[in-house]
Amino acid sequence: MNISKNLLLSSLLVGSSLLSGDIKVGAVFDLSGGLNVYGIQQSRALHLAVDKINKNGGLNGDKVKVVEYDSQSELSKYTQFANTLIRRDKIAALFAGLTSSSREALRPLVRKAKIPYFYGSLYEGGACDKYTFVTGSTASQALKPVMKWATETYGKKIFIMAPSYNFGTISGHWVKKYAEELGAEVVGEDYLPLTLSDFSPTIQKIQRSKPDFVVALPVGTNQNGFLEQFTAAGLKKSIGVVSTNHGSGNQQIALSPQAGKGIVSGKGYFEEIDNKTNNEFKAAWNTAYGHNEPIISGAVDVWNAVNLWAMAVNKAKTSSSKEVIAALESGLSFDGPSGKVNMLPKSHHLQQNIYLAKGSNKQDFKIVRTYKNMIPEYEESKCDLIKNPTLAKHFEPKK
Amino acid sequence: MIGNLLQKNNLLKKDNLIVFIFIFIGLIVCLIADDYLLYVATSWLIFGILGLSLDLLWGKAGILSLGQTIFYGLGGYAGAVTSINFSSTIGNTFILALPIGIFVGVLTAGIIGYFIFYGRMGELQTTILTYAAVLVAWTSTLTFSYTFGEAKVAGDNGLSNIPSMILSFGEGVSELSEKGMFLSLLLISVLLLIGCQRLIKMPFGKVIECIRQDSHKTELLGYDIRKYQTILFMISGGIAGLGGALFALWGNYLNPSMFSVTEALLVPIYVLVGGIGTLVGPFLGAISIGALSFYLGGFSGGQATLVIGIILILMVLFFDKGIMGIILSIVNKFIKKPFREEAIEINIGKYNIAITSRWKKIRTDQVFKSFGGVIPVNNIDLEFNAGTTCIIGPNGAGKSSFLKVCTGIYPIDNGKVFLDSLDITNYELHDRVKQGIGIKMQKPQVFKSFSIKENIWISAYSKTRNVSLTNKTTNDLLEIFGGKKQGHRSADSLSHGEQQWLDIIMVLALEPSVICLDEPAAGMTKGERRKLSTLINILSKTRTIILVEHDMDFVKSLNPKVAVLHQGSLFTTGNIDEVCQNENVLDIYLGRK
Amino acid sequence: MDFDYLLVVFLSSLSSASILIMATLGLSLLFGLMGIINLAHGEFIMYGAYAALTLVSVGFPYPVAILFATLFTALFGMVVEKLIIRRLYGRILYTMLATWGLSMVMYQSVVLIFGTVTPGLDFKQSNITIGDYSMSSYLLYMIPLTVLLLVGLYYLLTRSKYGIMARACIADPQTAAAMGMKTKKLNMITFSIGSGLAGFAGAIILPLVSATPNMGFAFVIKSFLTVVVAGPLALSGTAVAGSFLGFISSTTASFYSSIIGDMLFFTITILILRFYPNGISNKWRFKL
Repeated sequence: MNISKNLLLSSLLVGSSLLSGDIKVGAVFDLSGGLNVYGIQQSRALHLAVDKINKNGGLNGDKVKVVEYDSQSELSKYTQFANTLIRRDKIAALFAGLTSSSREALRPLVRKAKIPYFYGSLYEGGACDKYTFVTGSTASQALKPVMKWATETYGKKIFIMAPSYNFGTISGHWVKKYAEELGAEVVGEDYLPLTLSDFSPTIQKIQRSKPDFVVALPVGTNQNGFLEQFTAAGLKKSIGVVSTNHGSGNQQIALSPQAGKGIVSGKGYFEEIDNKTNNEFKAAWNTAYGHNEPIISGAVDVWNAVNLWAMAVNKAKTSSSKEVIAALESGLSFDGPSGKVNMLPKSHHLQQNIYLAKGSNKQDFKIVRTYKNMIPEYEESKCDLIKNPTLAKHFEPKK
Repeated sequence: MIGNLLQKNNLLKKDNLIVFIFIFIGLIVCLIADDYLLYVATSWLIFGILGLSLDLLWGKAGILSLGQTIFYGLGGYAGAVTSINFSSTIGNTFILALPIGIFVGVLTAGIIGYFIFYGRMGELQTTILTYAAVLVAWTSTLTFSYTFGEAKVAGDNGLSNIPSMILSFGEGVSELSEKGMFLSLLLISVLLLIGCQRLIKMPFGKVIECIRQDSHKTELLGYDIRKYQTILFMISGGIAGLGGALFALWGNYLNPSMFSVTEALLVPIYVLVGGIGTLVGPFLGAISIGALSFYLGGFSGGQATLVIGIILILMVLFFDKGIMGIILSIVNKFIKKPFREEAIEINIGKYNIAITSRWKKIRTDQVFKSFGGVIPVNNIDLEFNAGTTCIIGPNGAGKSSFLKVCTGIYPIDNGKVFLDSLDITNYELHDRVKQGIGIKMQKPQVFKSFSIKENIWISAYSKTRNVSLTNKTTNDLLEIFGGKKQGHRSADSLSHGEQQWLDIIMVLALEPSVICLDEPAAGMTKGERRKLSTLINILSKTRTIILVEHDMDFVKSLNPKVAVLHQGSLFTTGNIDEVCQNENVLDIYLGRK
Repeated sequence: MDFDYLLVVFLSSLSSASILIMATLGLSLLFGLMGIINLAHGEFIMYGAYAALTLVSVGFPYPVAILFATLFTALFGMVVEKLIIRRLYGRILYTMLATWGLSMVMYQSVVLIFGTVTPGLDFKQSNITIGDYSMSSYLLYMIPLTVLLLVGLYYLLTRSKYGIMARACIADPQTAAAMGMKTKKLNMITFSIGSGLAGFAGAIILPLVSATPNMGFAFVIKSFLTVVVAGPLALSGTAVAGSFLGFISSTTASFYSSIIGDMLFFTITILILRFYPNGISNKWRFKL
């Protein structure tokens, strides 16, 4: 009797596993090339999240399968592999991209294919598209608390050092806007080409304008040279340095300890955050990947993205786009390593905590201040995808 | 004669065959491949077009431009902006994007080309300048942000929402399917390929080939090489711009990374891998590299860049003729050379002087030329009329330098040169040749990979600029070499003396009024010298001939006027007998003073 | 416009020019003496930096690390010359392409071995004060160092036996060989000196930058253009071109913006090439 019941059950199970299929998700990250310091961790976070989901029974009984490609830090590869994933592998959702340009390249593709796309990296802000969901922090979201803290701590005269493309120039705009709101003054700014290695002119300009602190947004370890030379000139004694992207690619390790010391960075995640979820997350990460380097915010952005998507699929009881997007727009909340995050229905951006951390002389950070539940105000004000579902653009603040 | 025909048909056949195979393979791919592969393969054809633009320049003209992506990128942006703005009403994006892409490419190439070629930059400087221009384009587009109507060019975030390839006209029309896009690209690629093949066969293409082999000689034939190079550069820019516009429509997104160094350097790789100079090679190269990086990229941690780097090194070291090179070398093993080569008998009697040109007077007035501390031409006043004048003097007297000053090979520091009453002091070399000065330098300067016939043809064409007239003149002059059956022989298979004769005949094909010869008898046998002497005597009746020579017997056989140069200055003049008796002349020759 | 600022700008521009010259010397030696454009030059600089960084991180004193890093890159250059460059003499364009492939291989190899983030190290830094401004002293050391380097190279190439033979080999390889000089060995030595110089430049700027796999790229662009502007005389041409271009772009950047400084660099290069297509030192009568 038992045996036949078991036989019945197992044949039912076999039958059901034949009936259910895998849900395919696509992943394109920079696993090689100059940007792989970000891409490898983003990819790991994705796999970690998917493994956990599958271990807990999958989504609606289906397992999640990852189809992944390496974009090799080249923009053309992003579009190439996204096309492969969409047209050939027929994925249900896409997790990809690091730079804003990669996101902008992918946005029209996923829009045409009508599948949800998750962008898991900090950036200058402003993306607005029914099919795009951003879990990274935006420039305005991070800069606001950083600026407030810096003007209170250091003073009201500011110098901006940023890379000379969108991320830098738009962040610069936000600095000026918040400076105005806080009654502070931008006494100088310098936007540097990414290929520059001579930072003396910038450092001299800084000294001439006598700021109380510098907002430094160096992109790529090449621009770390600025911080090295700034320190070598002995300027850190009198001028503070704040940033919203320092540490996003573990630049604090590439910097010499004396250069990294005292730099304050404001981001959505630092490994040093002390809460239960983060500790569990770090433990799982270390078991799976070891601990060769600190976990970066991009990894947590992707972790949050995968989990939010999984929640939406569970809520919608299907992995098909229309329902999943509706579920994503219903106000989902997730408890991630950086604290609670909310997917905002109107702008598809994340309400999340912003942490201020100060660099130590051991090439790591110490959390100084936590700003809870920061809303990306600019995105929320410009982008209402509930009222205007056909909106598809990248908003930039007017100069 | 039969051999000649066969050779000509061989080339034609080869070109057409390549095109047919191309179309054939393309159609097969279209039939069997799935939509996804067709989509990716379309991009390979686009890269092939980009590579073609470089092969025209590099393979056919010897100009390695690392800046093709400038035209590609600018053409792409231009095409994208028009498409975004007007496609919603007009529909067809080909009409919107392609012409303006071509135009922008041509314009930009014209500006840069003018700079390079009219500035007479060397080969290496040209390459580096194009590389620098790409860097400038890259740095500037990263920060350039502007909204053109509906199209928002947002610096590094690029230009998005570019419509796809649409063939139909009107509003709300649908885009081409993957099959449609691939077929469109196939058609465009084939048309471009045929166009380039034809271009190379036209006189324009032949001059370009001459410039590649020996740009100096080409200029000595009276061609303004700067104009030809610039025009070719503009054609190449137009093709690249076309490719860029197609790329924009294919990918729906453009970004300053198009101008990056990595993208720029991919183009020579396509050309090298496929086979430089073959025109179809870049397509092969683009397809191979595209397929390779595509399948390799599938592996995570894929070291596609590493592999491509190694491939490049290996290609350059061992397979520099590329895929086409390998194919052609196999094919060539089956094509036999039709004839045995025999020695050539030069028959001066067959030379018909055209009475269309007559002698001109050439006069120098205090011409002065120095190189740092060395002064080879020191305030010389000389006048040359009809007949032969020999310039003689001891070694280092400045004889060749003086000749070069007259013809314009050396620009002079001071003084004037007159041709009849025309002041040609500031005339460029090719302009002087057009005015009727012909020069044969000391070493034979012929186009080594051209046949005798082609060499004569290109010289004659420079004068007549008319294909049928040139054909007639060429056949006439070929009689000197023993007729058409010798005409097919390549110039580098000729002996030194035979090459000297070819060089001389090429100069004569220009029907010059003034003929400058720098030691023309050097390396000739006694019999050949006699023939040369006869020729010069015939010519001197109606032309001005200036001859630099050492061989006194040869000089005496011409019974010329003589000018003796010594240490850059004019020593004395007279007829040959007077000068030979002159004790002072003997002194300077023997170093007695 | 206060005098202090002018002085600081002057000194730091001079220093930037010196760094540019140091980074370019290896490349211009190879170009001026051998007619080779080595597109992997930036990666040689990067190798030198990584070699020095590795040595310092295991405990070698910095000056020793610099020395060994230089030797390491010189040796690597020797290998490259033997395997690749030697087969491509006379074919400038192909050498360029082969070295570009090499640069990709060198770059990826470092990424594979070291990853993209290598721990930075502290170097003792001091600074000097000029009025209201302070400037890293290390930057100032670059100026006399570059002068020493130029003078040393000049003597090496014009007074030493190696130097005279090397220059003869390049001027007329057939005659040199006919006179019994081992042209192959000499060319190999010259190439390795050029590579070693690049490695030296990388090792010496370590306190000023973070070592990253693509650090060479930032230098290669400007070094490349400096070499072309400099022309055939490797030492005097590079010294003048590097000083002029480096100084002007740095000063402009100090008064306006870094972007304008960079654009000026490129634009002046193009203009100079327009009027001196073969470089400024083309008609000079110095030996080197």
